[in-house]
Amino acid sequence: MTIFNSINTTASALTAQRLRMDVISSNMANVDTTRGKLVDGEWEPYKRKQVVFQEQEGSFASHLNAARGTSSDAGSGVKVSKIVEDETPFEMVYDPENPDADENGYVSMPNVDPLREMVDLMSASRSYEANVTVLNASKSMLMKTLEIGK
Amino acid sequence: MNLFSNTITTLENAINYSNQKQKVIAQNIANVDTPNYKAKTVTFKDSLSSAMNANVTNSKHMSFSASNASTTVVSKSGATYNNSGNSVDMDKEMTDLATNQIYYNALIDRISGKFSSLENVIRGGK
Amino acid sequence: MEPLNFSAVSSAFPLTNTATTNKTSVANTQKNFASFLKESINSVNQAQNESDALTDKLARGENVDLSQVMIASQKASITMQATMEIRNKAVEAYQEIMRMSV
Repeated sequence: MTIFNSINTTASALTAQRLRMDVISSNMANVDTTRGKLVDGEWEPYKRKQVVFQEQEGSFASHLNAARGTSSDAGSGVKVSKIVEDETPFEMVYDPENPDADENGYVSMPNVDPLREMVDLMSASRSYEANVTVLNASKSMLMKTLEIGK
Repeated sequence: MNLFSNTITTLENAINYSNQKQKVIAQNIANVDTPNYKAKTVTFKDSLSSAMNANVTNSKHMSFSASNASTTVVSKSGATYNNSGNSVDMDKEMTDLATNQIYYNALIDRISGKFSSLENVIRGGK
Repeated sequence: MEPLNFSAVSSAFPLTNTATTNKTSVANTQKNFASFLKESINSVNQAQNESDALTDKLARGENVDLSQVMIASQKASITMQATMEIRNKAVEAYQEIMRMSV
């Protein structure tokens, strides 16, 4: 809770969006990974990962103020509360030549949809840019404040 | 002897409001992808604070309005949500950001001007 | 000819300030000026303390707005200047009187 409140908020958002982009790039890199994890001696394909955003709670003082009705705390940004694995079923592709094909010749492919990942990436990228704009605005406002009386 | 006119007090209040608005806009834009996040906004509560004075019977009791803030942060009412429960309107927030920045700069300019002219008068034009 | 009746006119346009004008004595003016100086010094003290408190909070990274700190420090500085000028005038007036040959 300092003068850099809004800058800290924006910084947390930049970190969160960057983590989201990292997860998306991990998904894109593993779009064909049939051997993701060893489960019960069997190879399981890569499971698509997703980030879950959560608003960062303020301090105790801010909650107390909110309860007293004198809330003047905007909040402290956003954080990634967890990275979950997508439980949608794997795509079955007919490929008998593949070393990972089962007895019917089907291979389980990761449940990553490249198109969806690209759209997600664009959204994350736009959010990141918007937050950079906010950061610049906050910074210029603070610099202007230092000019009072000069 | 009151050196500082009402205008300066008004400007101060406006600057505090603009500061608060900036924090809220930053929070809203930071949470544009958070599911079930409701967009926040800043409101004035000067007419409300006079009605809400606690009857303090013990010196250890906290009064209701100790922070002396005349603005509160509330969730925006009547907002539309997207399918993940998020009610942040990105375009509105970005335009609010631009508007607020200009508003804040104007206020700082004005109060700085008032202070300089006050200094000038006190110095007697030397 | 009837004597002119002023009562109607005076009721329509009542005379204000019919009392004698307030004559302030020299002693009264001095007292007012001295109270100005004292008031000034008190307000400087208050303004400087406020500004110091906010600057402390800023330095320690506590919950304060930069604009509040800047405005408080500017107010303290202006109040200080005003008090200095009042002090200068008081000293000048004293010196002027001392210069008078008896």
